[in-house]
Amino acid sequence: MLAYGGGDAGAFETLYGRHRGRLFRFILRAVKDRGVAEELFQEAWVRVIESRSRYAPKARFSTWLYTIAHNLLVDHWRKKGLSLVSLDGEDAASESANPARQAEGREALARLLHALEALPAAQREAFLLHEEGGLSVAEIAAVTGAGEEAAKSRLRYAMAKLKAAVDDN
Amino acid sequence: MTDDGDISRRYRELAREEPPRHLDDAIRAAARRAVGTRPAPLVVPTGRQRWYFPLAAAAVIVLAVAVTLHVEREQPGEEIASAPPAPAASPPLEPRAEAQAQKPQSAPQPERRRKTESAESRELRDAAPPAELQKAPEPVPTLPPAPPPVGTQDAISSAQQLAKVEGAPPPVAGAAARPAPAPKASAQLRRFEGARSAPSLSASALQSPEQWLQGLADLRKQGRHDEADRSLAEFRKRYPGYRIPEAMLEKVEKR
Repeated sequence: MLAYGGGDAGAFETLYGRHRGRLFRFILRAVKDRGVAEELFQEAWVRVIESRSRYAPKARFSTWLYTIAHNLLVDHWRKKGLSLVSLDGEDAASESANPARQAEGREALARLLHALEALPAAQREAFLLHEEGGLSVAEIAAVTGAGEEAAKSRLRYAMAKLKAAVDDN
Repeated sequence: MTDDGDISRRYRELAREEPPRHLDDAIRAAARRAVGTRPAPLVVPTGRQRWYFPLAAAAVIVLAVAVTLHVEREQPGEEIASAPPAPAASPPLEPRAEAQAQKPQSAPQPERRRKTESAESRELRDAAPPAELQKAPEPVPTLPPAPPPVGTQDAISSAQQLAKVEGAPPPVAGAAARPAPAPKASAQLRRFEGARSAPSLSASALQSPEQWLQGLADLRKQGRHDEADRSLAEFRKRYPGYRIPEAMLEKVEKR
């Protein structure tokens, strides 16, 4: 990122190639809507580009990148009248369990994916940050702005629910 | 029972969705554009470009000075053009033409008279307040004040009467500031335009005594003694207390 901030366009290519798939899936599985996911994905990279000269390597680039994505998700949920954190307990499982949604071409998703969609948003985000972003609990806490304990708890609950979903089948 | 590692492994077996190609292209293009657009260089441009600013500044200054000078030159002309004309300075040409048409036999005379008029008498006439004109909106055709012919006593007396009627003061030295005979007098004096020597009395009436005497001396020189005698008599009537200098007296008196 520092190289790109210094004018090296090739450095951006490297960064983008490394993070594009993971970031896209993180967003897609968080919002569960491809159109919205593409929009937020593009906006996240635009912010990266615009912040190239102000970037300071205080943490890993992925932490900074997923922080941007997280903020975009928060804005997205806020616009929809929802709060990412408030969904810590009960989630919008009813929406994800909608058969019609499953019929929208999501046949490729396995039961795990179905269980993932059924997770509360905060837990799902913690899981996705861990799996797609490769972030540690501390980094998840930094990205989401939550305490480490809360991040650890969310990740643990997410894992437990996914295990239960897989074991049940 | 699955552990966390198993969940992660299963998760990675899921479909690996990727962003669409057009989105990749758009983002990469935006990144390249952002790198390509750099802020303007703070270094002073060299070569030919270094002359652009001074040249433009000089051109602007020259243009501003030229416009200012041009405007200053044009303003006096505008003032003159906008100045109101003197009330009696220029009698209308058309009335004069009408007067000439009415009296075709005397048409050439105004020209002659104009030549003999001195500049001073013209100024006096021009400065005369057009009392009649102010009362009557219709412009009175004002010919140059025709004096009574020196050669006829009637003319002299008529001129005197006119002067009395109009209240015009006798033409004395320094009378330039006083009003000259009114246009009405001028109209009446037109009756004497046929006389050959009319201009001389008119001029005399408007001249200073010294000028009048000088005119008398000229008449003597030219051998026009009759006219000179009449003019002298008129002069003495007009200026009874005037003491003619000895040197001038020799020139104007009958030899």
